[in-house]
Amino acid sequence: MGNKQTTFTEEQLEAYQVMLESEEQRLHGRFRELAPHLVPLDYTNNPDVKVPLTLIVTMPELKENPFRERIVETFSEDGQGNLSFNDFVDMFSALCEASPRELKTIYAFKIYDFNRDNFICKEDMDKTLNKLTKGELTAEEVALVCNKAIEEADLDGDSKLSFADFENMISKAPDFLSNFHIRI
Amino acid sequence: MTDEQNLVKELVGMSTLEQTRAIRELTMSFEEKKNIRWIINGTKALAVVQKWLCQFFRRCSYTMRSARQALELWHGIMKEIGGKFGTSVLTYFLFLKWLLLFNIFSFVVNFSFITVPLLVYGPNITSNVSFRGLELLTGAGYFTHTVMYYGAYSNETLRHGVEYNLQLAYFFTIVVYMVLCGIALTFSMASSFKKNFVLVDPASTSAWQLLCSWDFSLTGEKTVTQRKNNLRESLSEKAQQKLLTLREKLKHSGIHLGSWLVSTALVAGCASSFSLQQEAETLLVPFVVSLMNLVIPLFFSLFNKFEHYSNNRSQIYSQVVRNVLLRMSILGVLCYHWMNEVSQRESFLCWESMVGQALYRLVIVDFLFLMLGSFFGEFLRNVIGTKLHRRLGPPEFDVARNVLDLIYAQTLAWIGLYFSPLLPSIQILKFFILFYLKKVSLTQNCQPPCRTGRAAQMQTIFIFLLFIPFYVGAISIVGYTAWSLNPSQNCGPFRGLDRSFSVVELWMAGLQTLPGSGWAVWIFENIIKSEIFYFLITLIILAITYVFYQLIQGRKMLIDLLKQRIVNEGKDKSFLLDKLQNLQKSRPKKDTKHGRVCYQTFSL
Repeated sequence: MGNKQTTFTEEQLEAYQVMLESEEQRLHGRFRELAPHLVPLDYTNNPDVKVPLTLIVTMPELKENPFRERIVETFSEDGQGNLSFNDFVDMFSALCEASPRELKTIYAFKIYDFNRDNFICKEDMDKTLNKLTKGELTAEEVALVCNKAIEEADLDGDSKLSFADFENMISKAPDFLSNFHIRI
Repeated sequence: MTDEQNLVKELVGMSTLEQTRAIRELTMSFEEKKNIRWIINGTKALAVVQKWLCQFFRRCSYTMRSARQALELWHGIMKEIGGKFGTSVLTYFLFLKWLLLFNIFSFVVNFSFITVPLLVYGPNITSNVSFRGLELLTGAGYFTHTVMYYGAYSNETLRHGVEYNLQLAYFFTIVVYMVLCGIALTFSMASSFKKNFVLVDPASTSAWQLLCSWDFSLTGEKTVTQRKNNLRESLSEKAQQKLLTLREKLKHSGIHLGSWLVSTALVAGCASSFSLQQEAETLLVPFVVSLMNLVIPLFFSLFNKFEHYSNNRSQIYSQVVRNVLLRMSILGVLCYHWMNEVSQRESFLCWESMVGQALYRLVIVDFLFLMLGSFFGEFLRNVIGTKLHRRLGPPEFDVARNVLDLIYAQTLAWIGLYFSPLLPSIQILKFFILFYLKKVSLTQNCQPPCRTGRAAQMQTIFIFLLFIPFYVGAISIVGYTAWSLNPSQNCGPFRGLDRSFSVVELWMAGLQTLPGSGWAVWIFENIIKSEIFYFLITLIILAITYVFYQLIQGRKMLIDLLKQRIVNEGKDKSFLLDKLQNLQKSRPKKDTKHGRVCYQTFSL
């Protein structure tokens, strides 16, 4: 999100940090469980270890999630889904309960933006819908639903959702914060 | 700040190398330079210590906060339920925990302010009835003369170094607790309403379903598959929705009207059947009440099957309204009976204790019926659904009905608080057992809910329901009892008085003799007892509400204007982009020559 500056208040940053500091040990244990031969016990030297996507999506919290590959890709530095421990911690702290709304909105936008062009266009919506319904809707139904969705949320009329449109829609959906949340 | 302080400030900001160079260049004596260097070291050390202290305190608060989270009641169980069944079922358990906290607070307050002084310093209560097991169910017998009920409390003023007026303590503890409950409920309702209703845009259902409705915390494979199926069904239904003809619309409205009439008739019938009861003090009445509360909603859900609703939410709302109507009318009739008839009857020595016992029985029988309801509604239904009629499948956890049961149970506790101060202890036990019972029943018998309603809005509705009919009703009953009814002459803390509120009047009269408390008496006489004060307050609140309403209307207009502006800007942007493209197309050769010239200048 190069073109948007977000600022957090002190309290939000502190709340965010609460999760990190007190649960880092536990997260390290979970991270190591995924690939015990790759991840060392001792992290004081900050080794450059990355766990591949295929191993991370076997976690019970992510296994059944239809967006699991997109989530892991979004938080990985190389965009291919290989997470270092820092990325791993980032992922679960952005998706935890105490995470601020702005942060969740940014990451949700990135997750739904399949082609990474900073817009949720019609193809992104199609892919989202197919992931949510196991691809069992007919092509016309898919087209109808996606068109309707874009029509409702698009404010500036360019038939794709920019971050501003997405944020506006999220601000009117109070369920979003509790839905966009993974417990670990 | 002096020159020296300014200098020190400047030097502290520099690196060590620059610092030594700057100090060397100063036009001061050696002593003064040594002094400056000493001050700088001191400031740096202070800054380090400050930073360390800050970090230390922050770490302490983090560890405390995480320890609190780990010790939080039922944290692990809530996480498990949320993961397997989704957020809407979790709201039931969160609601249960919240109500449990109300009761714990009430019990602690009542026990420490009312019961403990009586037990420790007060007169001994002798009872010549021995304890038989039946008391746990009926609340009468051995319990009648214990501190469980109103009757055992005395009206004396204890004098052991400090004066402790038991009458005032009883009155104020109950009143202050109810007022605090009301404040907590108001704040919770207002913040929930603001978050979940005001900001919600009802028009964006399709976009919402696609982008916001998926619950990321679901981890069970069956749950996820089911949710996907439901989403698919709901989307394809929407895509194929046809408009209803006029005839169909009329038919639907007719069915709605019919079922409402029948429901209201049922409710009225139940309520009137109570007024024909002669003896209302036996175990029969609570039994009949709970039976009605269990059976009549089944009729309501039967009517529901015939009715056709446009969306899931109005279906739940209409069911909730009917259930609320039923319970309110039954409670209303019972309270009327207690207030008007039981309190006037001369044959009772202590009518408040009688009412307290009746409420105790209601609470216990309600608990038994909740357990029975769970057994029949969930366990047996699961057996039928999985073994006998495989097509039915296991039952869903009916969040609305269970939350209503909770609200009703809490209302009974609130009404009974005045007549039986230790009733919250029974309520605490009840809710504790109920939590584990429902959790086991949920995990063993129920399947995750099919339709994902908007959980946040449902939660607001439930809090609203808790407050408006039920809490307001409970506090009106308590208020009416304290204000208008004659307390019994032979028992309880208000014996001998005309009405319970007189205890405050007497206290105020006593305060008049004390110097320096004239202001309290003045407030009591001219504000609390005068009607014009309440009239003025109501007028002011109405005026403020009207001003806020106008503000909201103005802001809505502003939002519409801004939305229109965004659309216009989008149009402007696309117009300008088109124009730029056209311009570029019409002058291609000149541009490339220009580009090559530019490149040559750069390479130079």
